[in-house]
Amino acid sequence: MEKSIVLICEHANGKVSPVTYEIAAFAHELQRLSNGSLIAVVLGEHVQQAAGEIAAATGIDVLGLQIPGLENYSGEIFRDVVSEELPPLDPGYVCIAGTSQGLDFGPSLAVRLRACCISGVERIEDKSGQVVFSRAIHGGKIHANLASAARTTVLIVQPGAFRPMSAGSVKPGSISLKIMDRGSSLTRSIGLKRMQSGGSALAEARVIVSVGRGIGKKENLEIVRRLARMFPRVAVGASRPLCDIGWLDYSQQVGQTGATVTPDLYFACGISGAPQHLAGMRGSKFIVAVNTDPNAAIFNMADVCVVEDVVGFVSDLLKESDGSSEMADKSSPANEAIRP
Amino acid sequence: MRILVCAKQVRDTQAHVSIDQSGERVIVDPSAPSRMNKYDEHALEAALSVKDSLPETVVDVVCVGPSEWAPLIKRALGMGADNGIHIIADDDEYVSPWATASRIASFAMDRGYDLILTGVMSEDMMNCLTGPTVAELLALPYATSCVLVRLDVSRQVVYVEREIEGGLRDCLELRLPALLTVQSGINKPRYPTLSNMMRASRQTLETIDSASIPGPEHTEVLVGLGYPGKIGSGIVLEGSRQEKAVKLLQILREKSLLV
Ligand SMILES: Cc1cc2nc3c(=O)[nH]c(=O)nc-3n(C[C@H](O)[C@H](O)[C@H](O)COP(=O)(O)OP(=O)(O)OC[C@H]3O[C@@H](n4cnc5c(N)ncnc54)[C@H](O)[C@@H]3O)c2cc1C
Ligand SMILES: Nc1ncnc2c1ncn2[C@@H]1O[C@H](COP(=O)(O)O)[C@@H](O)[C@H]1O
Repeated sequence: MEKSIVLICEHANGKVSPVTYEIAAFAHELQRLSNGSLIAVVLGEHVQQAAGEIAAATGIDVLGLQIPGLENYSGEIFRDVVSEELPPLDPGYVCIAGTSQGLDFGPSLAVRLRACCISGVERIEDKSGQVVFSRAIHGGKIHANLASAARTTVLIVQPGAFRPMSAGSVKPGSISLKIMDRGSSLTRSIGLKRMQSGGSALAEARVIVSVGRGIGKKENLEIVRRLARMFPRVAVGASRPLCDIGWLDYSQQVGQTGATVTPDLYFACGISGAPQHLAGMRGSKFIVAVNTDPNAAIFNMADVCVVEDVVGFVSDLLKESDGSSEMADKSSPANEAIRP
Repeated sequence: MRILVCAKQVRDTQAHVSIDQSGERVIVDPSAPSRMNKYDEHALEAALSVKDSLPETVVDVVCVGPSEWAPLIKRALGMGADNGIHIIADDDEYVSPWATASRIASFAMDRGYDLILTGVMSEDMMNCLTGPTVAELLALPYATSCVLVRLDVSRQVVYVEREIEGGLRDCLELRLPALLTVQSGINKPRYPTLSNMMRASRQTLETIDSASIPGPEHTEVLVGLGYPGKIGSGIVLEGSRQEKAVKLLQILREKSLLV
């Protein structure tokens, strides 16, 4: 029998998480290179609705594992259930999203399946008959191309790296449901806790001026704020380290564990472009990056690359824009806002 | 409480990196400073703060790496760890995180640790795999991406909050012994103290030869390294800084992005 390609789907509150469709797209690409039948697995307290949605949108057959009481993710239950249910499906590949869930249960699932595990997968290609998976190392400046030497391979896919499969006119996949009684003995879920109210200014902004560790000093944030005032409907965003040290609020963090944004302009100041940051902003329509390192990973994604010290460059930009605004319409309220 | 912290050395992330002629090795600018992986510093700080409140706690630090990494372990002792273990591995080739995890697990197997802490990710290899793999090899409960850790010794549990997407935290309690991977933002790592550094300089590290530890059988193999391809249109602005500023303003105006 042909080995299968299993994808483990994510869903929350009855809705399929968008990242699931990225995994579906990835699994289809993998199938083109390696064959094998696709099967989607979805776990939770109520999975019927999610299973139906996945089967209809992707055409993939879905196995729903209904586990009473599994309201939220539990690493222990996921690991136990998935490692028991997968072997009969004889998976050649198991595709998992590199989210806080996938990165949690994926690695130990691999150990239990005696599978090899490759995380952060951003690309897949066929190299003379061998399927090769590409992942970022060194902050995204270099990619490592890896192949599996095991019977089964767990692939943890970088969020944002694959364009989500769009719901086409496919013949819906079949759905089978299985009710399982499972509990956890070594861990106890206490529930979710909301830290931010969400819906920050980032979501509505047309332009996001984002700042990273390259800004150097806290005092330098002011110049970035002045830069922001050049734009309409603008918000200031940040990379994670700046939120960690408290210079900016976590609600301003862009990336895998922060906000996902799609502004008309993303202006990255002193941001290296680690995959976890790119995950949150790669959908931006136009990207400008300022960085002293010509090899910074952010430049691979940028439309305009400026290899300069961010503070010096932004000062020049403010100066030049001030100069030219003398000639521009002085009554424009936005031009007023530029003045320090 | 016996706590084990896993720590590795990395080169500063801003260092210039390139690929050697074989296409299989990364060359990091040799003048770039080396330091502890930042997530491991947070893990160590989390362990040391347990020791602050429960003085009978013993904090051990284990590092798998070449002999040149010994100063990193000394630095961990300087920060306040009690013992350093160096699993010497002079691998010149790609190392699977599973191999690293096997080495750590085989060392930790019968040492009776109540808690094992790792960083969520190594800044250079970016696997996010080593911690959970160690946990699974030792059959320990674990939680990843912890941003809050609170021990309850009397009940032999640890309460943690994991960072998940959308500004949420997943709160759970794990029975000890357990393994946690630590995310940044959890604490502010302390600096080594002079008195601890002096103690560290006299203390010998326990060394283990990694060749004595069998590796995993089937893992991934490195086919080669490459530079990532460009995705954006990637115009690189040329000229003086001022000229670049003028050019960028022009582009932004043409795109009607300015007001
Ligand atoms: C599970 C997980 C989730 C994560 N989630 C996120 C997330 O949601 N968002 C996020 O941002 N990160 C996230 N991270 C962290 C991420 O891996 C990177 O560490 C982070 O994005 C780096 O931030 P940075 O670019 O500001 O800093 P660095 O990587 O240190 O880069 C600083 C950059 O500034 C440049 N620079 C230095 N001096 C100057 C100067 N004078 N002028 C101009 N440029 C200069 C440098 O060349 C460098 O490229 C996550 C990590 C993990 C493990
Ligand atoms: N060579 C090593 N020695 C000790 N700990 C390590 C080593 N490699 C990885 N780790 C630990 O595992 C974590 C995750 O690494 P990685 O899986 O490579 O992203 C790190 O933050 C360390 O705590």
